[in-house]
Amino acid sequence: MVTLSNVLQSVYWELLDILLFSLGLWMVLGKLKWKQRWMAWIPDLRFAALGQCIQLPREGILVGVMELLSFVLGSAFKGIEAEKLSLLVSLATLILLVLLVVYRLRLYVRLMRIFGMKKGWILIWFLLDWLVLLIIGFGKKFQPVELPKPEDWEAGTAPAEISGAESVHFRPPAESGLSIDLFERTAKDFGKTRYLLKDISLDIPNGSLVLLLGGSGAGKTTLVNAIIGYEKAKAQVTLNGADIYKDYAHMKYKIGFVPQKNLMRGNDTVMQTVDDAAELRLPSSVTTAQRKDRVQEVMDLLGLSAGASGLVCKKSGGQLRRISIAMELVSDPELFVLDEPDSGLDGVIAKEIFSKLRAIADEGRIVIVITHTPDRVIDLFDKVIVLARDSGRVGRLAFYGSPQEARDFFGKESMEDVVMSVNSKEQGGEGLAELYIERYAALAAAAEGGAAT
Amino acid sequence: MGALIAAIVVFVVGGTLFQYQEGTKLGVFALTCACIWNGFFNSIQVVCREREIIKHEHRSGLHMSSYVLAQMIYQLLLCLAQTVVTLIICSIAGVKIPSAGVVTPWGLLDVGISILLITYTADMMALMVSCIVRTTTTAMTTMPFLLIFQLVFSGGFFSLSGFADKIKLLTVSHWGMDGLCSIGRYNEQPMVAVWNMIVGFKDLDVFGYTPLKDMLIYVEEHGYRDPFLEWCGEHNQLPQFAATVENVLHNWGVLILMMVVFALASVIALEFIDRDKR
Repeated sequence: MVTLSNVLQSVYWELLDILLFSLGLWMVLGKLKWKQRWMAWIPDLRFAALGQCIQLPREGILVGVMELLSFVLGSAFKGIEAEKLSLLVSLATLILLVLLVVYRLRLYVRLMRIFGMKKGWILIWFLLDWLVLLIIGFGKKFQPVELPKPEDWEAGTAPAEISGAESVHFRPPAESGLSIDLFERTAKDFGKTRYLLKDISLDIPNGSLVLLLGGSGAGKTTLVNAIIGYEKAKAQVTLNGADIYKDYAHMKYKIGFVPQKNLMRGNDTVMQTVDDAAELRLPSSVTTAQRKDRVQEVMDLLGLSAGASGLVCKKSGGQLRRISIAMELVSDPELFVLDEPDSGLDGVIAKEIFSKLRAIADEGRIVIVITHTPDRVIDLFDKVIVLARDSGRVGRLAFYGSPQEARDFFGKESMEDVVMSVNSKEQGGEGLAELYIERYAALAAAAEGGAAT
Repeated sequence: MGALIAAIVVFVVGGTLFQYQEGTKLGVFALTCACIWNGFFNSIQVVCREREIIKHEHRSGLHMSSYVLAQMIYQLLLCLAQTVVTLIICSIAGVKIPSAGVVTPWGLLDVGISILLITYTADMMALMVSCIVRTTTTAMTTMPFLLIFQLVFSGGFFSLSGFADKIKLLTVSHWGMDGLCSIGRYNEQPMVAVWNMIVGFKDLDVFGYTPLKDMLIYVEEHGYRDPFLEWCGEHNQLPQFAATVENVLHNWGVLILMMVVFALASVIALEFIDRDKR
């Protein structure tokens, strides 16, 4: 039975909750030197303010809208007793509540980072968020670990130190070609941040066939995935002036990537697989006949026509690699990245494939290739990127230049010897990675300084 | 696999299904569980096992809505085949499905639609899980919990109250059972529980007499047994099992709504696939 006193009691509690939360948030925003602190007192809008303040604007707005919606749905739930309607409302409310919890936690986690709080706090955040806000707001112990520059903050812009990627000042990208300025690529490993790549900066002109070298675990695949936006890093990658990360939805169609693994369905035929790939990747303006012709052309080029009707799962390793290449080549990409395209292929077919890649590059495209057997086709390449693991086991740039420059830089005759020189002694190499990383960094800095003067 | 599960269930509980209220409830519960089990197994691994392929294809321009829709069409055909197989097994096992339907003129079609909807909704739920989790191991670990949730909160055998009673509204099993009981005309069936209880006490001795036994013999000899069972059934009618078109359509509608929600959630979950890292 709903009585007036029950209703008043619940209203009092809700009001108290809102007031305590707003007070805590008002204090926290003050500590962060946020100008529009008054927004902390307006339900729903306060989350938008918090989101703006801690550089999670989308999350802030979403939480605000969801709070409002859940209030409306909650009211509807109380008012409507019919089973039919209450089910709809409860379903929607449940989904909304889950989303609300997730997004609120994202805001709180960011706040915890800013105030250098331990992870254990998350449980209290989850149960009594207003209490934590009051503790942070009034507690002298809790101060922003990375306090923003007041002048920037007062102006309403986000502090670079808090916002993450914005703290890195990327160099101006090249107007044409592929420009890579990677600050770092990290991965979470059981809650700990692990650095995979760091400080890789280079420009690749259009029409280049580039060899990406490095020992096992140096980060070749990670770098490639970062370049193509497949696994984003803290970096700025541009292709002919267009930012791949910022305009990923558009740029992904201009990039062809043949991964290390053969990502295809075993129960489809070879023809179906390549044709499906073509249907996905080619523009809708391409007619079915044109698509079929293109598929046939690529199949012929890669020697797949003979077994076109066979199931993918019945094919050999070499054939699977060729199918993988065909799937990407079918769309004529501007940037074509291949992760070990020649693995499992015999020498003749491998040379044929690299010749074709050379021809693709000669059309003005950039082709980046990772291979473990570069010497048989090294003459085809324009540039060589050498990655090596430093003493902290982080992948870094050890060299970027032409194959001849690489030979001179490392004092080696073959590319396989170059890799051996940067490989660790445990890997059977010479363990000189650190030396070459430093030497190349100095060389690059000198070149940059020379260019600047 | 689906046929085998259905066969086991139907052969065990099929004899009294749609005959008595107790048999109907038990049989419908078992049949619903079998359908949910089939649905779960159809799709629990289909997406997560090719997650890397989907991620790669998404990067190449694959729309997640198209992918999920394609999976939905394929799963619908699969569920349809399983429904046909289940109905064939039911007929082989001698399950007496009501000849007259509630929504359609044919009871078999009504039951078939219900079985299809239960299987397909469970299938969509598993598809959603498969879209959310990243590995087949996680998917298979999640499945038993989902199943237990469906069984416990179906309201079929555990009396639920308070919040738990609300939660049952979110289960496929609850709406599936209600629909099948309505189509099976649960409210028009006799109830045997009271009679069986009295039979259990028939040898009760009262000062050298067995009055219950004498009464039972009298009732049987004068043909009062069946009217008594029907009378018991009339007093055990439940509004949610009423054989009305509105009732059945309501149950089917909720299942379809759940199906749509699960499909949408699948699409949303897959839209974040680019965030997967090695």
